[in-house]
Parts: sequence; structure tokens; C-alpha cells
Amino acid sequence: MVQIQFYSLIRLLIKQEKLEIPACENETVGQLLDRVQQQIATPFLYKLLDDNRQLHTGTIILVNRHNIRHLDFLETRVNDGDVVAFFPPGAGG
Amino acid sequence: MAIDERYARQVLHWGEQQQQQIGTAVVLVAGVGGLGATVSQLLVRAGVGKLYLVDDGLVDWPDLNRQLLYAEEDIGSSKLMLAIDRLRRINSAIEIVPLPGKIDETFNLPGDVTVVADCLDNYQSRFLLEATVPKGCCLVHAGVQGEQGQVLTLRKGQSQRLSDFYAGALQPGGDIPVTGDAVAVMAGLQCHELFAVIGGEPKLLDRCLVVSLSDFHISFLDI
Repeated sequence: MVQIQFYSLIRLLIKQEKLEIPACENETVGQLLDRVQQQIATPFLYKLLDDNRQLHTGTIILVNRHNIRHLDFLETRVNDGDVVAFFPPGAGG
Repeated sequence: MAIDERYARQVLHWGEQQQQQIGTAVVLVAGVGGLGATVSQLLVRAGVGKLYLVDDGLVDWPDLNRQLLYAEEDIGSSKLMLAIDRLRRINSAIEIVPLPGKIDETFNLPGDVTVVADCLDNYQSRFLLEATVPKGCCLVHAGVQGEQGQVLTLRKGQSQRLSDFYAGALQPGGDIPVTGDAVAVMAGLQCHELFAVIGGEPKLLDRCLVVSLSDFHISFLDI
């Protein structure tokens, strides 16, 4: 299983904190995102990706605690047992 | 007035040892805006040993909803110098050192700092501040936007870097929405963690506390 965690405004938007879905062999974060969206009634992918499926800058995506921008971006592989987190941090102070 | 009397109520809670640890801590608070004005005030009231403050801003009208050290007559004046004055009036026993200017590539962290509070309002300055923190020293970061906020402690050389965690999180354009109550809550949580770090038992080391005041929800993001 892959554990998906939603934080802050993403959690509020979809009204869900966690989701577990079966892992798929050789799946990437980008593919996982589409599969997660299929299981959640509220559209939320537009918060993460632009029209060209490039990452927005407002939300960070972590796989096993590491920002995917330091891995392979949306091509980062997701394996059984992995934890994927979506977190839009507060920028101000 | 005896020092024992000033700190009597908190010593009842955390004990003499924690009070002594706070009394010998040297904290640098970067930014004395929304978070920093409250964090620095709480540190001074608690009897922190020495406090460095960094800021280059002037008080403006939009600051007054949340920056609790400043008032109407302060518009146009240096936040840093006002903060120093107000904090010294709150607790004259504390050594408070102003460090005027921005956090930029030329900033040097004083050598005696034992913990750093990131109360800044933009990622670029946060990353520059982090770069100056010496190995082994803790950086307690907080951020707030609307009714959302987070607090996170990182130990330099051991934790992943804030700039790696936040990679790609660019600063939003325009003014960031922020309310006084949300800032006060997050500043209180940040200061609570600062006391935990000073006491040698950080609660949010590599563990981001994510707060949504919208529905009074808290969660943890391990990093």
C-alpha cells in the first residue's frame, strides 16, 4: 500500500487527511496523482499541477520525507510502503 | 523585586532547572514582525539569557493588526529600535542586542547564539539565515498564511535543510493574507518549541507541526 497524506489547504479542500491505495509496479508520482484524483470527489490536481502538468510552486510534494524536486520530480518512483505527502506551507511571518 | 518573584509562576510549571537553562540561552530572533514581535516578547518575559534581534523594517499601518510590540505613534519608525526599547521596559535584566539590516549573503550569526528562531516572512531570507547556522545548532522555523501555519525544528548537519524541504516553494506574489489571532497562535507555538529546544528536548525536531485554525486541526509531517 502507498500512504497519501494531505496537509493544510489541500486537506481542507478535499476534506480528507489520509488515503491508502495499493501500490502499482513502476508507478511514478505523476501517475499516482491521477489515480488519487480518481478516488477523491473534489478536484484538487489543479492545486498541484498547471495546464502543462508542471509542478505549481505553492505546494511541496514529499516522498518518504524528501521533496520530489530533489528526486525525479513527477517521474519519482513510488513503491509499496512509501509515504507521499502534499503540503502547501504558510509563507508569511 | 526579586528575580525569583518575576519568574515564580512559570517556575511552578517547569522548575528551577528549566529556568536556569532559559536564563543561560542565547537566542537570535530573525525578524521582529508578526511572529518575531511576539516570540521575542515571550522570550524576554520568560527570562532568556541574551537576545539578538534582526530586522530592517519600519512600522507601517498594515503591521498593526498583528505586530504586538508596535502602536499608532510608531508608524515610520524602526521596528528593531522600537522592539529593543519595548522589550527592555518589559524586562530590564535581559541583554538585548540589535542587529540592524537584512538577512542577506553578508549576514554573520554571532558566535554565542545557542538557538535560532526563524520569524522571517519570505523563503529567500529563511534559506540565507539557515546557511549561517553552525553545525549542531537548532533552527526553529515558523510560517503563517491566512489561518494556516507550521512550526519545525531542524538541527544543522543532522536534519535535512529547510531549503531542501521547501524546494520549489516560491514566495507568493503580493501581500500575504494574515490575521493577528493566527500569528499570535503560531508565535506561541514557536516559542513553546524554543523553550523545548533550550531545555534539551525539542518536540518538533524533523517533525513539522501543521496547524489549520480553520477547523482547529493539527497534524504532524515527519521530514
